[in-house]
Amino acid sequence: MRAPRENLFHLIEPLLPHVEHPSRYLNHEWGACEEQDGPFHLCMVYADVYEVGQPNLGVAILYNNVNAREGMSCERCYLPWKDMSALMRERGVPLLSLEGAAPLASFDAIGFTLAHELVATNVLETLDLAGIALTSAERDVDDPIILAGGPSAWNCEPLAPVFDAVLLGDGEESIVEVCACIRDARAEGLSRADLLRRLALVPGTYVPSLYDVVVDEGTTRWGRAVPRAGEDVPEVVLKRCVNDFAATPAVAQRIVPYMGIVQDRLSLEVLRGCARGCRFCQAGMTYRPVRERPAEQVVSCGVEGLLASGHDEISLTSLSTTDHSQCEAILNGMNVALEGRGIRVSIPSQRLDSFGVDMAAAVAGGKRGGLTFAPEAGSQRLRDVINKNVTEEDLERAARNAFAAGWRRMKLYFMIGLPTETDEDVVGIARMAERVLEIGREVVGRGPKSGVSVSISVAVLVPKPYTPFQWVGQLRPDEVRRRQQLLLHEVRDRAIRVSYHDADVSLVEGALSKMGRAGFSLVRAAWERGCRFDAWTSEFDFRAWEEAARSCGLDLEEVACEEFPLTAALPWGHTSPGVSMGYLQREWRRAVEGVTTPDCTRESCTGCGVCPALGVHNVIQGVRS
Amino acid sequence: MSDPRPQPFSVRPQDLPTKAELPRLRVAYVKDSRLAYLGHLDLISTVERCIRRAGLPFSVGNGFARRMRIQFSSALPVGASSCCEYFDLRLTKRMDPQEALGRLEASTPRAIAPYRAAYVGSRLPALEAWLNRVDWSVGLGPACPADELFDAIREIARRGEVRYLRGEKDKVVDLTRTLCGYSVGEDETGGLSVGVDTLCGAGVSLRPQVLLDAAFALMGRPAPDAPRVRRHRQVHEEDGRIVEPFCGSDAIATSSLF
Ligand code: SF4
Repeated sequence: MRAPRENLFHLIEPLLPHVEHPSRYLNHEWGACEEQDGPFHLCMVYADVYEVGQPNLGVAILYNNVNAREGMSCERCYLPWKDMSALMRERGVPLLSLEGAAPLASFDAIGFTLAHELVATNVLETLDLAGIALTSAERDVDDPIILAGGPSAWNCEPLAPVFDAVLLGDGEESIVEVCACIRDARAEGLSRADLLRRLALVPGTYVPSLYDVVVDEGTTRWGRAVPRAGEDVPEVVLKRCVNDFAATPAVAQRIVPYMGIVQDRLSLEVLRGCARGCRFCQAGMTYRPVRERPAEQVVSCGVEGLLASGHDEISLTSLSTTDHSQCEAILNGMNVALEGRGIRVSIPSQRLDSFGVDMAAAVAGGKRGGLTFAPEAGSQRLRDVINKNVTEEDLERAARNAFAAGWRRMKLYFMIGLPTETDEDVVGIARMAERVLEIGREVVGRGPKSGVSVSISVAVLVPKPYTPFQWVGQLRPDEVRRRQQLLLHEVRDRAIRVSYHDADVSLVEGALSKMGRAGFSLVRAAWERGCRFDAWTSEFDFRAWEEAARSCGLDLEEVACEEFPLTAALPWGHTSPGVSMGYLQREWRRAVEGVTTPDCTRESCTGCGVCPALGVHNVIQGVRS
Repeated sequence: MSDPRPQPFSVRPQDLPTKAELPRLRVAYVKDSRLAYLGHLDLISTVERCIRRAGLPFSVGNGFARRMRIQFSSALPVGASSCCEYFDLRLTKRMDPQEALGRLEASTPRAIAPYRAAYVGSRLPALEAWLNRVDWSVGLGPACPADELFDAIREIARRGEVRYLRGEKDKVVDLTRTLCGYSVGEDETGGLSVGVDTLCGAGVSLRPQVLLDAAFALMGRPAPDAPRVRRHRQVHEEDGRIVEPFCGSDAIATSSLF
């Protein structure tokens, strides 16, 4: 039964004095779309607290697109923190949207953003707080249609029983089509099953309930999803891709939050996609092709966006902003247009090989905090394995430029657990950090007053679907910990700080990345044991996850660390970003041989298959050097 | 947006206008409805963004962080509303206060709407220290008979201090220096409205909730669940003489909405 649509803010307001950060629940921010007349109502959910979810660009884009349509409204919802959800349960208050303070259960459709795998238990928590059945099969004809999409939808199988439909790839066009389809199907009085069949006709839409999972000798233990007998649905659902990226609005964030949020600045997506081909990187494989916005658009829309929002910082975001063929023109244009206004221009992370002297001068408009580079591996051999095409010289040059331009703190990202990694590679991380520190001291000077420091952050490789490492087993946690200790032991200078990811968190993330549909029982069991906010170090409860796994007859380590045969049909094979399995297999073989593959925006096509499969191509505004 | 200003490296520091020479625009605004729950730091960044959106020629400090030159009246407790909040903004050039107010209004959420603006003396002390007389009203449900509450407050005032826990810390407020008046009224439904007039300065201040919690504890009654606290006056008091925030300003701009 659909809940009635009504404004229930009066139920939340009395709870505000009793919770941490009441501004999470206030709404009415500057730029929020207050008119929510519908009659079709969608609610976009980012299943984490407000300050984590609000900066998400994907939600902002879909929010604007749906609200721009006649007859359609889109609101937002974030997961209340534990103090608030406990109070809500105690007083029988259901989960509400922000704009209209309407029960989530009153919406026509609800769209979850899957920003990472660890959001899984929060999805269940959201539905439960909203009073909506957890699985598609349990929902009534009137219940909201539960949609999902986003960067970690590439293996959505462990949550497949939850979702009525999953939107693959760029959502700006498909969300509107999906909403229209739901609206029309409801108007025609279709049954829920027929409505879902209709949804499966919208390109890029995967409807899990129309697929069965088959386990046979050609699959892994998780099987593969095949169209259910009698259902006319594609064997492989291909992602959607916005061809004319420059025709989409450059500034999607219109809402100016009241509370300090993560990434509290205006973001402008300067380009989409990355073809560098790093073999561990899911985004690099799944957001292809590369589409740049023209420099003039970035500068003029950035300045306009800042005037309209009042932010004092603009971040030029993308998977690899310094790869933009007009990056320097953009940075210089911005700095000139914004001079004297106390506004900073920032870039999330720098490419080592494109961080020249001019770039060093232009980034951050005078602010010299920390600078981030990602060499990812400690030796040239291993960087070749992962296709991170940067050299020791690139790092040294970039570090020298940055220190000379006034930076003092350098942050370097690395991974351990990469295929073929040896102790020598791990030790190499320490040596690289020392080299960078030494360059800093050479350039800036020695002694504690120079303020030169290097911090290294070491993640664990989680092999992700649709990367050339998708067949690889994750490194076992004991071995992860041994290598972490080895690295700690090797770093001897106190000006080098080491931080590393928890091996247990990575293990759960790895299991969620690998499992098929049967993995839902694990997610559900973990949620039933109180797992929430698993991405928060303070909240992650490994014991509960282990118990949950045991209760389902699973072992987390076995799941995450299992290697799949190169020829096996994979649990995610039926939802495709367009990259061909043949290409990924070829890339895996080249990885093992230590052979690199060039970037197709600089050299010719390397045959990943995306362009022919989707009928698209790279759009580069200038010439990439 | 501010006009491009000379940078320290292109001009000798002694040639830059000092802060005291910059026009000082005082703005009065409300803090109402759900924005009463906005914490002070979030309020500061929200107001700064409103000023940027309004395009006022604000001045930026010369320090490393290049912050906007703005000062606020003292922080409100989270959940308290107010009809008398203030900020002082240094501008790089004088502009018509009516126009400044109009532009601010157009770029500010209604719940923290500005309603008065005027230039004030450049060398006045910072707002937070200067506005030392703060009066509150607190709306309670029908929690107890009005007389009983009044007597409890009088007894606490007589004792001269309140002790309370803030987080883990023991705090003491000297009521002889902070409490300058109180009243308890009752409406026809039995709801209570409490007036608490306070003086603050040099690290001492009295929040009305602290006084009321002590009074309810003395009566042996539970403190009311969600009292509606409102700051209704902030002025400067010196030797018993009251100075209003805009006293002495000519051309006080006023919003048509209020
Ligand atoms: S098909 Fe070729 S040109 Fe297109 S993204 Fe793949 S490698 Fe690049």
